[in-house]
Amino acid sequence: MISVTPTNQQTESLDLDNLTAEQTAMEIRNLNLHYGDAQALYDISMAIPKNRVTAFIGPSGCGKSTLLRCINRMNDLVEICKVNGQIRLHDKNIYDKDVDVAELRRRVGMVFQRPNPFPKSIYENVVYGMRLQGVNDRRTLDEVVERSLKGAALWDEVKDRLNASAFGLSGGQQQRLVIARAIAIEPEVLLLDEPTSALDPISTLTIEELITELKEKYTVVIVTHNMQQAARVSDQTAFMYMGKLIEYADTNTLFTTPTQKQTEDYITGRYG
Amino acid sequence: MKQWFNSGKPWIWLTAGSVSISLIAVIGLLVLIGWRGLSFFWPTAIHEMEVRANDGSVSTIIGEVYDTETIPLERLRESGVELANYDEETLERWLIKVGNREYVPLDFTWVLAPQIVRDETPADLAKLERSKDGNFYGYVVDVLENGESVAHGENVREVLEQRIERVVELNEQAADLQDSEIGAINYQLNELRLERRALELEGELTEAEKARIAAEEEQLRQDYQVLEDKLFALREQASRDAVVMRDMRGAEVTLPMYRMLAVYYPNDMNILEKIGHFFGQIGNFVSENPREANTEGGVFPAIFGTVFMVLLMSVIVTPFGVVAAIYLHEYAGKNAVTRLIRIAVINLAGVPSIVYGVFGLGFFVYMVGGSLDQIFYPEALPSPTFGTPGVMWAAITLAILTLPVVIVSTEEGLSRIPSTLREGSLALGATKAETLWRIIIPMASPAIMTGLILAVARAAGEVAPLMLVGVVKSAPMLPVDGNFPYFHLDRKFMHLGFHIYDVGFQSPNVEAARPLVYATSFLLVTVIVGLNLTAIGVRNHLREKYRSLEH
Repeated sequence: MISVTPTNQQTESLDLDNLTAEQTAMEIRNLNLHYGDAQALYDISMAIPKNRVTAFIGPSGCGKSTLLRCINRMNDLVEICKVNGQIRLHDKNIYDKDVDVAELRRRVGMVFQRPNPFPKSIYENVVYGMRLQGVNDRRTLDEVVERSLKGAALWDEVKDRLNASAFGLSGGQQQRLVIARAIAIEPEVLLLDEPTSALDPISTLTIEELITELKEKYTVVIVTHNMQQAARVSDQTAFMYMGKLIEYADTNTLFTTPTQKQTEDYITGRYG
Repeated sequence: MKQWFNSGKPWIWLTAGSVSISLIAVIGLLVLIGWRGLSFFWPTAIHEMEVRANDGSVSTIIGEVYDTETIPLERLRESGVELANYDEETLERWLIKVGNREYVPLDFTWVLAPQIVRDETPADLAKLERSKDGNFYGYVVDVLENGESVAHGENVREVLEQRIERVVELNEQAADLQDSEIGAINYQLNELRLERRALELEGELTEAEKARIAAEEEQLRQDYQVLEDKLFALREQASRDAVVMRDMRGAEVTLPMYRMLAVYYPNDMNILEKIGHFFGQIGNFVSENPREANTEGGVFPAIFGTVFMVLLMSVIVTPFGVVAAIYLHEYAGKNAVTRLIRIAVINLAGVPSIVYGVFGLGFFVYMVGGSLDQIFYPEALPSPTFGTPGVMWAAITLAILTLPVVIVSTEEGLSRIPSTLREGSLALGATKAETLWRIIIPMASPAIMTGLILAVARAAGEVAPLMLVGVVKSAPMLPVDGNFPYFHLDRKFMHLGFHIYDVGFQSPNVEAARPLVYATSFLLVTVIVGLNLTAIGVRNHLREKYRSLEH
């Protein structure tokens, strides 16, 4: 039996059911998702508070990654995937017909499970998003690179070899580079899909520290199958099971006094 | 036995055996054509032999031993030749290249080994390479300037050497003059003729225009006159000297100097000189124009034509193939129609190449080319500009022939790119097109290069379709020259593959041509290997650049 104690005590708790507009970054309303005939998400509703870290936990196949990929419409790439319901960003449903998906993804960035740097230099990796927006002024880009790499706690390690290939970095460095790349375009929300599952414990620790820093500027949503990690880094946690949102509460509350039987079973390690 | 069988050893032997057989076949092929092709350039001894015919008459033969073969005596008897005092079952006969084409009926002759009574290789025997009538073998007797003897005994070699150098220099100047300056004037005169015709067709040939064109023509003609005088002066100078030779009949003949290219004394060469001569001859072979209906001289226009056509084809096929592959892989729906198209594309690679040639001739040359002529070059009609086979049509036809290869390997490359990179780019707000341009295509470039390598290998060796769409035995002008617009894609061109066919099968002088067939084949292989190595080098560079961690 694993005992998980929340260590992330700094932030005051919020009333997740009644967030004010200023407190809300995004809001998911009655979201259903089908892969072909199979339903993967069932009627999910939740509000993601601003400048906080929200964690999605749950056993493999529970739909937490699927839900995360709905938030910046990454699921559009899957042809058979069909989404019903709403996800609202600034009171605008991102699944509306007139939404520019590229623009949405600029505002809702994403970091994936495996580090995926582009086959370019470190510098070019970071400015990729800026160049997409047509920014080519060298001085602006230099500033962005420094700010982003510092923001991703990577600056000191790579400042002397910005023009070296990104493939020369270690796995943990690559993952921080990918985070730097994501924050270079100043998104409002940053989605992290199991960002440390392919990394060693030390790199994991660095990234976790980074996540707590990131929430000062960005709203962070993280998917993890590591409960300790969720407990360490997140302010509120959503537990999902079989495509349903079982419980969504302050991390402290969820890990110490879960209201649902399934949540308790999961966090005490009875399955998952 | 069963255990040995189960151990997998026979399988290893079988697979290793097939590899060995393939290797032996490839190396054997290269060694054969390399040896037979390259030995042609090695200076062989010039023999002077006395041959006693059956009737007892003795004649002298001077020449290079080209080939030897062993034949049964029986066969000789059957053809009505009797040998006195000879009773072995087989005998050797030698093929001698005696040259001196204008004085003897055939420049090759067979000699039966038993009939040779004396065989020597005197150091003074000279081989004269000439621009016409082939080689001349004999002894240098004298050098004449304006009919007066200028060489005396010992120094005749030196004098001859100098005089030949002078003549070669003068001939080169004359050829330069003719190709560049006189060629340019002819080109401009033709342009003016076309311009007048064009104005006439449009009904805008006013008196003023007529006068302007006539004036320009007059100016060009005057320039031409000056150049022509210069050319004649050069030729005049070149024909000043002559060389007196004693040939194998013992007669002294006077040969005009202006046809001489070089003189060698192969019997008097040491090994270093022979090596130098060998590489010099190879250099001439790859850098000179063919002479004497392609049986002598070099193959430079054919090398140039081959490489130019292949490069032009690459430039055409790469963008088309890549764009088609991108559509099939990235945009086309994953349904039966796409699968059908893909199967059709793959099957295109199996269509015999001559069919592409017929298609190219019918569609590109006659239909497209004919229409282009009517729209853009009406002034030149009835003589066609693009409505006739040419290097552009050849390149396009081969591009279609090699398109499937490029499409298939590009698609392969696209599907190997990890989807995480695609998602990474999209998650940063890139559209699909931006992701393609910035990430996917650069990463697929090694695969594109692989396709191009296969395409080049196939196209450079293709002959059959080219015979229909642009290759000729002898092209007067290269497709690239100094006259605007520098690239003349409507011109016909020469090709190494066709050159082999032409020299080997269409040549008036079979014996002279045979070594050239091997040499040209070897060169063609070398050119293809060279093109491929270049492409492979580029690909490896790209691969290194876009090597991603897991792949």
